Amino acid sequence: MTAPFFKFGYFNDEVSLIVAFILGLAFGFLFERGGFGSGRMLAAQFYFTDMRVFKVMFTAITTAMIGLFYLSWIGFLDLSLVYFGETFLLPQVVGGLILGVGFVVGGYCPGTSSVAISTGKIDAIVYAIGGLFGIFVFGEAFPYISDFFYSTPMGRVTLPELFGIDHGIILLLVIMLAIAGFTAADWGEKFMASKKEGK
Amino acid sequence: MLKVYAALPPRKRIGILAIILGILAAIIGAPENSTTASVNIKELSMTAGKNVNTVTVQELSNWIIQGKMDYRLVDLRTEADYEEYNIPSSECVSMSSLTNSELMRNEKIILYSDDDIIASQAWFILKSDGYHSVSILKKGMEAWKNEIVFPSCNCGEHSTAELKQLHDKKAEIAKFFGGAMQAVDGSNSAVKKDLPKLKAPKKVVLKTSRKKPAREGC
Repeated sequence: MTAPFFKFGYFNDEVSLIVAFILGLAFGFLFERGGFGSGRMLAAQFYFTDMRVFKVMFTAITTAMIGLFYLSWIGFLDLSLVYFGETFLLPQVVGGLILGVGFVVGGYCPGTSSVAISTGKIDAIVYAIGGLFGIFVFGEAFPYISDFFYSTPMGRVTLPELFGIDHGIILLLVIMLAIAGFTAADWGEKFMASKKEGK
Repeated sequence: MLKVYAALPPRKRIGILAIILGILAAIIGAPENSTTASVNIKELSMTAGKNVNTVTVQELSNWIIQGKMDYRLVDLRTEADYEEYNIPSSECVSMSSLTNSELMRNEKIILYSDDDIIASQAWFILKSDGYHSVSILKKGMEAWKNEIVFPSCNCGEHSTAELKQLHDKKAEIAKFFGGAMQAVDGSNSAVKKDLPKLKAPKKVVLKTSRKKPAREGC
């Protein structure tokens, strides 16, 4: 057996939908239980009063990186078949900024808004409707912005390729960065709490 | 040492574990070793020699005519030979660059060369490197020339209707690939000498293009 299973044809399109459904259930459940179904919690991240989002996301990234590296190393996973999107530097920077502003204003990102809908949060429902409308507007406006959308293309590029460093060293650097980030986040939370009390 | 580790809070233990894994990863370097491979001899010996690993020229010609494009056809001959003539829809990949080429491990790959030997070697290399669906075009370019592009048929005028049909079909396929039927006299003279110089047929425009990969990602 070699992963990714779908790419090697261990199951077909229909079964892949069932697999996606089960994975989606697990993902949504853990997201909600992690506290990501609350707009207040998510917005608190941007005021540095609660760094949970940062910690969860960075933990997920680091865990996935370690897992992918070692699974590939023992020959279980063919990394070249793992999908990731192409890089278009400038449009993605702009898109990230728009998403970030929407995140702090609305209190959700697309995934967390669906999670919050499951517990009946009205703001999340409104947010999701807004998101769908935004997709519609984007689709209609696409002919006018497609030049920008495809500008500064870099293709399928990874950090090891870009910097010419081994995967393993990038992995170590990200782990160090995560641990430094978590330490700083803990310190920041305490600092913000004491500042609040001081007032 | 272990006692000290066990006494730490879980988050610190996980952190230390992550650092250890990271340092090991940095020593390992790249997760994929591209020059050596370990081979499952049993599995390979079970599949080797089975017909599932071969494709006949007749099957291939049918696929090309039907525009079936769910495979990658790989020409292992030299670039000069490839330039001179190649089977439509094939791509030239040299033996040495086989595992660094753009072939994907989950693709259906069909290999051909002048004969079966080079193709068999390439089959073994790809199989060892984890390519799942690799086949060989049986008898390679020789068979393609002699059975598809310039087929000969000694079914004369007095043959049955069935043979006549077969003859017509062969002629039609040969015409599609820019060749022609070779007549065989009763004298059994070597036909191959009379083979017209093989030229690449007019670029065949296939009805369907290579299947675009479905858009993925979120």
